[in-house]
Amino acid sequence: MTNKPILDIHNLNVVYETPSGPIVAIRDLALELNANEALGIIGESGCGKSTLSYAILDYLPSNARRSGSIMFNGEDLLLKTEKEMQNYRGDRIAMVYQNPYSALNPSLTIGEQLDEVTRIHRGFSRTQARKESIQSLQDLSLGEAEGIVRRYPHQVSGGIQQRICIAMALLCQPDIMILDEPTTALDVTTEASILDIIGELKERHRMSLIYISHDIGIVNKISDRIAVMYRGEIVELGPQEELFNHPKHPYTRALINCMPRAGVKKETTRLNTIPGYVTRRSADERGCPFASRCEKKNAVCEEKYGLREIESGHLAACDRAYATDVPDKSTFAPLIPKANARPGADQTDNASSGIEPGIGPAPLLELHEVYKYYKNRKRTVRALDGINAKIEKHDVLGLVGESGCGKSTMGHLVAGLLEPTKGNIHFDGKDISLTWKHRSRDTIRDIQLVFQNPGRSLNPSFSVEQILDRPIKKMLKIRSRRERRAVMINLLKKVDLGEEYLSRPSTRLSGGEKQRIAVARAFVTSPRLIVCDEPTSALDVSVQASVLNLLGELQEQSHTSYLFISHDLNVVNYISDHILVMYLGRVCEYGLRDEVVNPPYHPYTEALLSAAPDVNPSHKQKPIRLEGAPPDPSAQIVGCPFAGRCHKKIDGLCDTTPPPLKRLSETHYIFCHLSEDRLRGVAHL
Amino acid sequence: MQRIWYMAKRYPLIFPALIIILFWFFIATFGPSLMPFSYTAMDMDHQMTAPGVGEHLMGTDSLGRDIWSRIVYGSRSILTIALLTSLFSSLAGVILGFTAGYFGGRIDALFLRVMDIMMAIPPLVLSMVVLGVLGNSNILTLTLIVSIAYTPATARVARGTLLSCKNIEYVDAARLRGESHLYIMFREILPNTMGPIIVEITARFAYSIMMVASLGFLGVGLQPPTPDWGMMVIENKTIIKAAPWAVLYPSLAIASLVIAVSVFSDFLSKVVIRDQ
Amino acid sequence: MTFFRPFFRRLGGMAITLIAMSILIFLLVELMPGDAAQRVLGQSATPQAVAALRESMGLNDPVWVRYGRWATGMLRGDLGTSLYMRGVPIASIFWRKVGNSLVLALLALLFYVPLSIVFGILAGVKAGKIIDSIISFFGLATMALPEFVSGIILMTIFAVKLAWFPITSVIPIGESIWSNLNILVLPALSITLVMFGYVSRMQRASMISVMNSDYIRSAILKGLPMRKVIFKHALKNALLPTITIIGMNMGWLFGGLIVVETLFGFPGLGSLTMSAVKTQDTPLIEVCVLFITAVFVVSTAITDLLYGFLNPRIRYPGGS
Repeated sequence: MTNKPILDIHNLNVVYETPSGPIVAIRDLALELNANEALGIIGESGCGKSTLSYAILDYLPSNARRSGSIMFNGEDLLLKTEKEMQNYRGDRIAMVYQNPYSALNPSLTIGEQLDEVTRIHRGFSRTQARKESIQSLQDLSLGEAEGIVRRYPHQVSGGIQQRICIAMALLCQPDIMILDEPTTALDVTTEASILDIIGELKERHRMSLIYISHDIGIVNKISDRIAVMYRGEIVELGPQEELFNHPKHPYTRALINCMPRAGVKKETTRLNTIPGYVTRRSADERGCPFASRCEKKNAVCEEKYGLREIESGHLAACDRAYATDVPDKSTFAPLIPKANARPGADQTDNASSGIEPGIGPAPLLELHEVYKYYKNRKRTVRALDGINAKIEKHDVLGLVGESGCGKSTMGHLVAGLLEPTKGNIHFDGKDISLTWKHRSRDTIRDIQLVFQNPGRSLNPSFSVEQILDRPIKKMLKIRSRRERRAVMINLLKKVDLGEEYLSRPSTRLSGGEKQRIAVARAFVTSPRLIVCDEPTSALDVSVQASVLNLLGELQEQSHTSYLFISHDLNVVNYISDHILVMYLGRVCEYGLRDEVVNPPYHPYTEALLSAAPDVNPSHKQKPIRLEGAPPDPSAQIVGCPFAGRCHKKIDGLCDTTPPPLKRLSETHYIFCHLSEDRLRGVAHL
Repeated sequence: MQRIWYMAKRYPLIFPALIIILFWFFIATFGPSLMPFSYTAMDMDHQMTAPGVGEHLMGTDSLGRDIWSRIVYGSRSILTIALLTSLFSSLAGVILGFTAGYFGGRIDALFLRVMDIMMAIPPLVLSMVVLGVLGNSNILTLTLIVSIAYTPATARVARGTLLSCKNIEYVDAARLRGESHLYIMFREILPNTMGPIIVEITARFAYSIMMVASLGFLGVGLQPPTPDWGMMVIENKTIIKAAPWAVLYPSLAIASLVIAVSVFSDFLSKVVIRDQ
Repeated sequence: MTFFRPFFRRLGGMAITLIAMSILIFLLVELMPGDAAQRVLGQSATPQAVAALRESMGLNDPVWVRYGRWATGMLRGDLGTSLYMRGVPIASIFWRKVGNSLVLALLALLFYVPLSIVFGILAGVKAGKIIDSIISFFGLATMALPEFVSGIILMTIFAVKLAWFPITSVIPIGESIWSNLNILVLPALSITLVMFGYVSRMQRASMISVMNSDYIRSAILKGLPMRKVIFKHALKNALLPTITIIGMNMGWLFGGLIVVETLFGFPGLGSLTMSAVKTQDTPLIEVCVLFITAVFVVSTAITDLLYGFLNPRIRYPGGS
């Protein structure tokens, strides 16, 4: 702590001039970054995390004004001219961005884009620069680097693109590397291996990191210290474990408790939520930026009070996280278990059937050998490759897998947006392997869909009333306007919104409010099955928590079944009764939730679990690194689809013979060649 | 509304443009009844007189006809035809483009193929040849032919805006409650494409003015003695050295109108783009 | 070679377009009111003479036979004979006029392509600044003006007032276009003005969208100097849409030629088409319109090919 910080930010303010007056993006921000330190910055979207990083590099829109000081190695970056800044950018301070695909120039080869960094900053010749570029790619364990430099960005996968971006940032061995949500666009298993590499490189190059993310779990894996940002201010800053175990600021505490995590289930706990949403900040606003949403608010909060040291090395703008004068409202409120509240869960205890239909109580929905191929001129993509699955009555089936595994396709087949290429879908005994065009009115009413992005699923030209009114009129056939209005108000109440929302245009709602309206619309017909297609992944964590709570409560009240699709194992773990793990259009594992998330598990489930970010900082297990990217979905796979990346692969068996079904209990089965002992065992890396 | 005002302040050209457009609409509506000369009256004492001489505000042509009166009368036909054309071609474009884009597949492929063929011949050439072959153009044939010539372009624009909305989930949501195609196309999608479509109509208005003027210039527009801005230019081109005003003023009338409408359309497109 | 694939696919489309267009043109012109033989001989001709001419012109055959005869003639390079200029083979005048128009079009291209690209890029890079407002308004205005209006304005200034160039662009009999290059300037400038608007505005828009892209952010934050960012990273991507626009507008340019050539009396394809329409010279109209269509189709195909060649995402498909 005694050596001078490499980056020392004082009193930084960033203000945007807009037609509706100045907007404060960063307010009186102070921050120190030490040499070889990894600093994580977390906060919801719109809190100024990215603005901070662009302010350091002087890359802000023309209507932005900066003031204060940013001392880098004793020099104030705020005083540098554009020309002088060019010597810092990419050389002393490098950056890696959220979306690697768009961050690389589509019409230059990867090599050209890498080479120019050392050529400009080091004055290298063409050949020297190329040698350096290849070396840096190899440092990121990209095999075949000589081949990669000759390709264009679109010719390599997203994971490799991001490694290239990291290699580019490392070329001049910068003092500071800023990573702005570098893994958000990637799959969990890819994310895990990239995080691993970043940690390693930081030690090897003795550099400092600023790691920006909305996901506390990810920041946790990599940071020494963590700063929590809220509406342009750092509200808390402290050593990672300390901050998580003993948060001082109510916002930090609320944020941590929003995250669904291992062991938190809907039966026992409700997720913490933060009321309201992040709003813009005007110039004349005073006091604690969080006051309006804070449940520990008291009279003092309206006045401004800055960041101060509360314990050694632990700074916070407020220490009322556990204040006792205001009682805790919602934090992990334990629920009183209700007897037989959810008949689905009870039934599944004695329900036997695996995939054979006809045993035990009939499931609500069954997929039987369902295939879905997308054909185009060049190739056939096997989105679903012989899926058997079922959803019990009054039950939540969580469907989890990485992008491209076919989970959305399956959701759309069930909802009726698509038609299977082969195979049958039975709903309550009826064959519904048809699209909406050919489904009966009853089926349409019984199966509803909640989309991922509520901004897109609600028509932006309509008001809330128009959005809800039409399905009521169309599907419930209620003629009287007054009656329909009563139904709407009732629905709004269900999703915790007031009558006044009816007249609002849908574009004027926050993301969370939109998703509530979308959920209300799905419940218009009191459906028996709702397909939830990643309903929370477009939302901030605090909003995600409230939507998950809402979906859980509604499910409990209405006994509707859910097909809940998500890439996030923690979310699926929270809401589901059963879980189905998919990989490349096939089922890996199916079982009751607790059976799936505990050993024995499919090697792929194991990898997903080990890669899933965890808010608990003491769980720092080494993720299982999956080799390579998933195979091309248009390739005909003979053996197990996961064989190519499996850490437990049996050579000569897994890639030639399709994996057999291993029934581990009445309700749990896995498709794998490995013995039960091996499935139970820890990974041998 | 507030936003439009804000945008207008940052786009001051819109004010003169609006004034010019309103001026021409006013002139077209009330002008002819206020004119001292009939558009056919030949003032034999004043042939090719310069502007200002003998109460001829903009001078006369070789037949002694008052240029300003002829411009005023000519504003009627050009505004009428251009306005109708922009509305017709946009309407036809929306219907065709929406149908093709919405249903996709073979209908769309056929649509694109036909549009490709239609677009292989420039609209001006198409209109000129057809009108020339038919002969004796009037307001009706002009409107009809120019509308047809412009429909492929507007249909493509309409199809494009529809496609940008078609795969948004609110369309899926409407399908999943069993809405009809017509309802989805015109109740769910159309309101969200109104911005670009209105911009297209105004841009098409400018193009139509340009086209009608050019057709008049080529002599396949309205037939003499009906005054037509484009025709006035070619009629008097031979006397450009002796009486440049006879050519210049009609040209400036066209220029002022067509530039003002273009500025208006450009402004609208900026308002709409920021909106989305 | 994968980037040839769109070209081959285009070839089929080209053929269909040309065939369909030739049928359309043929039907349109053949079905026009009035009798061709009557027109040739005039109103005073005897019915016997008209009937004889009809027979010799093959007008009594069914339409599809006549189309077949005409189309195979076209394919063999036989453009037929003019109705108005009785018995004159169209080819004898047509190609010379096309040559003149090509010279004019090339000169216009030489003017407007570099001008509009340079000013479009300048406006795009300086978006929102005063220089951008000036360029943008100028582009908007010139784009909106019909060619004959900008032509008249140019003519008034440079031919009437300054007398630098001739008012009409007629080539004296017996001379070739090459000895009269000064007559080309004003017509070429008129075309340039209109095209400048289109191309520079498109170039500006694509430059702005490229400059706002993530990869330009990467290039700037790599520490590259602005000139490298613009010329190495932005330009390559920002020129692609412009190339398409220039190619697509080739047919358009030939439409504009009709107006410009009529205004200046330039002996090219445009004024030939115009006089063919005026004189109801059926075979000549067909040839002219078909040729303009062919120019559009061919230039579109070349554009596609060029676009594919310059865009690595099409040149090297695959990956993710």
